[in-house]
Amino acid sequence: MTISRKCVPFTPFDRELSKSAIAIVTAGGVHLKDQEPFNIADELGDLGFREIPPDVDSSQLMVTHHHYDHTDADQDINVVFPIDVLRDLEKEGVIGGIARKHIGYMGYTMQLKAMYEGTAREIANEIDKGSRADAVVLTGG
Amino acid sequence: MKGIPTVLVTVSPEVSAQMRPPRALYPKGFKIGNSLGRPGLRDLQKHVLRDALALFNQNTRPGNTVTIEYPEYGEQYEPPRVRKL
Repeated sequence: MTISRKCVPFTPFDRELSKSAIAIVTAGGVHLKDQEPFNIADELGDLGFREIPPDVDSSQLMVTHHHYDHTDADQDINVVFPIDVLRDLEKEGVIGGIARKHIGYMGYTMQLKAMYEGTAREIANEIDKGSRADAVVLTGG
Repeated sequence: MKGIPTVLVTVSPEVSAQMRPPRALYPKGFKIGNSLGRPGLRDLQKHVLRDALALFNQNTRPGNTVTIEYPEYGEQYEPPRVRKL
């Protein structure tokens, strides 16, 4: 694999962080315990994603992903999905708020085109459509 | 859609660089599964997240990854490499 020849999809940030709402999008396989887990039985990977609400209790989150060791995330989800950390930063006035939607998906796929042209766009639309996010933090596993 | 500014926290900088993320932070030596640090180390997690968010207001070069060391993380790990064909 070589470095992408596509231009860098750079969107400028022209706001104050202290007035901005932040969303988290993680490839770490994070979802709510009562949401359908990602399908790790499919060797091609699961192209779906799960919406995580802003007021989620972090103890209600879990990881379904079999391509990294998530033992640490099982103990403290903030190592891949830093929702409580964002809340701390909101209290301290570093950020303006927590966006209304966050997303977890399983960042492993053998269906790269479908992930790039399908899932990634759908996630971007979800964030764009009603999360009120001014910026997004992306994490892997 | 006009686009949404993003910042990536990566623990596989060589791998993620292939997609040329617009802004990226590599907390040096963090292992996969520890993007923000170790469990329970909230101050470290906050430090990493603050540094990532700070990239929004810095004059970073799109496509480049910023590397920062966090001694409080402790033992460091080698990141995965891209296999050369």
